[in-house]
Amino acid sequence: MKEFLKLCGYEDKEIELELPRVRKAFEKTAITSEDIERGKQRLKKYYDIELKGVRKAFRLCLKEFINSVLVKEDGKNKIIYGFMTPGMDVFGSVLATQSREIFAVHHCWAFHIVYGCIFDKIVPVFEDAEKKWLKAGLVAHCANVKSMLGPYALGYFPKPDLLITAGFLCETSPKTIDLMQEVYDIPTYYFDACQDREITEYPEATRRVAELAAKSARGLSRKIQEVTGFEIKDDMLAEVMDAKGRLNTALGKVRKLIQNSDPIPLSSAFENIWMCLKNLTMSIDELDEALEAINILVEELQNRVDSGTGVVAKGSPRVLATLPSGQTDPRLDLLLCETGIAVVALDYLFRLPYIDNDKDPYIQFATEILCQSMGTPLVRRIPLIIDGCKQLKVDGVLNKYHVGCRTVAGDALIIEQSIKKELGIPVLTLEWENFDPRVHNEELFRKKLEVFKMMMLKNKDRK
Amino acid sequence: MEDILLSDHFKNRPAQLREARRKGIKVIGYFPGNYVPEELIYAAGAIPICLTAGGGPKPADAALSSVPQIICPFARAQIGEMLLKENPFYNSIDLLIAPITCQHLKKAAEVLEYNGELEIFKLGIPHQHDQDFQLEYFTDRLRALKIRLQKITGNEITDEKLKNAIELYNKMRYYLRQINLKRRQNPSPINALDFIRLNHASFYVDPIFMVETLASIDSGLSFKQMPSASNKPRLLLLGPCIGSGDYTVLEMVKAAGGEIVAEEIYEGMRNYWQDLGIKGDLIESLARGFLINRLPPAFMRNSTKDRLDFTLKLIKDFKVEGVIWYQILCCETYDSESYYFSHKFKEQNIPFLFLESDYSTSATSQFKTRIEAFMEIVNGEI
Repeated sequence: MKEFLKLCGYEDKEIELELPRVRKAFEKTAITSEDIERGKQRLKKYYDIELKGVRKAFRLCLKEFINSVLVKEDGKNKIIYGFMTPGMDVFGSVLATQSREIFAVHHCWAFHIVYGCIFDKIVPVFEDAEKKWLKAGLVAHCANVKSMLGPYALGYFPKPDLLITAGFLCETSPKTIDLMQEVYDIPTYYFDACQDREITEYPEATRRVAELAAKSARGLSRKIQEVTGFEIKDDMLAEVMDAKGRLNTALGKVRKLIQNSDPIPLSSAFENIWMCLKNLTMSIDELDEALEAINILVEELQNRVDSGTGVVAKGSPRVLATLPSGQTDPRLDLLLCETGIAVVALDYLFRLPYIDNDKDPYIQFATEILCQSMGTPLVRRIPLIIDGCKQLKVDGVLNKYHVGCRTVAGDALIIEQSIKKELGIPVLTLEWENFDPRVHNEELFRKKLEVFKMMMLKNKDRK
Repeated sequence: MEDILLSDHFKNRPAQLREARRKGIKVIGYFPGNYVPEELIYAAGAIPICLTAGGGPKPADAALSSVPQIICPFARAQIGEMLLKENPFYNSIDLLIAPITCQHLKKAAEVLEYNGELEIFKLGIPHQHDQDFQLEYFTDRLRALKIRLQKITGNEITDEKLKNAIELYNKMRYYLRQINLKRRQNPSPINALDFIRLNHASFYVDPIFMVETLASIDSGLSFKQMPSASNKPRLLLLGPCIGSGDYTVLEMVKAAGGEIVAEEIYEGMRNYWQDLGIKGDLIESLARGFLINRLPPAFMRNSTKDRLDFTLKLIKDFKVEGVIWYQILCCETYDSESYYFSHKFKEQNIPFLFLESDYSTSATSQFKTRIEAFMEIVNGEI
């Protein structure tokens, strides 16, 4: 256990202090010594755990996981879960900074990292959810939503006083929490917008929809106050957004290093860690810890770049990948490296070039959500991807689509056709499940990636 | 007699639409779900056509060049009909109004927008309405739709025209409601297939003609001599969608000796339970009527309880003995809900059959067997 915690960035003194809590949390979530051994192996295999910045990032993810499990034991009076709720991290961080009584967490970020990526125990959680309304089969319910329902049904997390989700991109999550309300008697709130922007209305339509989303977010603040008695003020939000902005800037440096390096110094598996880090409901102090971790990592990566150390060979084909990295399973990301494909960026990081100078923090973060690549309608997402490909000078696009997500799955074929037509570069369209390790087929994926690599190299030679 | 007149009118309708377009009258298509006020379209002097084609594999499969199979077959059928250009109704559209409802139809609208061959107006539908700003948003979007319709038709939508249109469609809702309520009788004076076809026809044919036809049918049913009570199992049909042409399951139920006496279907059936107000701000009246004063579909937030309560009331009022849930593959919200509803029905000893379709013909024989077995269960033979 101690070795495991060290690999996760815990210092010796902290280990002594935290060990009882860690043991308790692991016992409650059925993590055994066998799992811990496996976890150590997986950390070493999939993640560059020799990098101090990486270890420190894992530490923060593990901390949030443990805090989520032991929330009652820690004496919190009110518990709020957000799930698939952009901006939940902001609300959660405000509450973490301002209140000792309330625990707010944005499920299942830390849970995915710890239970999935590290311990590879997520499948039974899905199976439990599949016994309820998120059944297996061709209907392909999103495994992300299964990882909300499953652990709750298994008793890993206590009953919250409020359960929140957003419906920007998804109907499965809102329906699931609606059913959880009926089955488990949990109060709910839905943070919503309308994805009705037409191509002819850009960019003004973003403001229209952002105003709707901002009103919905203010409604969320009122709901939180109603449930907890705590009033979230605008300046509290602004303070957290400012701190998170500094974290984003630091992560931007990591990404720039990767985009501009040959060979790339870090695999795409880490994008999942950065996404998680961004979504943890950390207090301002903990955000400073996250910032420190990333700043350390930037130095470490610069050293790698300076020494020519990479996770693929120099000259490997450069690729843009769509959607986030595997959120419970790093195998595809490792396979990309083993095949010699350099994933230099992910499209979900692209955003519309629209700035709203409104000082209202709710408008600011609603606009930020609506300007992200995945948050825009297809007709606007495609030019973002094509422009991104041109700027990054990629040799191909890994067009993976998460089959459980109707929104992004529906875009996949049009993305492929558009890129091939506009840019003449190879596109590998891969049906995939961002959260379910059961769909990973090592041999099939390897073959596809090898052919994809060959196509990119041939295309480069032709040019 | 009415069915022959209606059938003839329907057959001639594409020619009528071509003639109307030749005269400069616009044809406005819209996706189903009862969120697009035809009243606005009609008041603009345009012809509303609700695009509800479904049931057959060809259009749904044609869309697989644009979207993967995870998009439901009904949404794919809408894309496919536009790609195939074989459906005269789909070929006649000057503007498509796409209500942004479920992810599937939203994606269909985005793909058609991307293809660029058709002018599209996306009508944003707030997925909840417990706070005032959501109704305000929808009302604003209806005002924007009004402006767009005026622009495309060149006609002003006056309050008087809109009031007349609302009254006309209220009549249509009234007669459909009256006809439906007669199905509480045993035996029902009209079978489910005919009733659903009337709903589908109402989306395509001239609304004045439709109202006259419905009035005549309703009157005829009032005086129809019915045989003595039937012992056919009385069934409720639930599900997300029944496209025009998607009649296989209905025919199988009838052939197996069952009688569907009520439906709660989101797409493909008109919402005839409530009339719209004609006083005050008519756009706001439309907004309230179409967003709030209706049964919410499964994708609307916090809708499960209201929907279950409504369904249980239908079961009671229509003396339903069994429920068939007709599910379109990959429709995630209705699929999730079916689990909850099935448990609630089980608590009340109401037999429940779940049938899932992707519009392929391969499941037909399975459906037949399962429906026949279900009839036996409802009849108490098993």
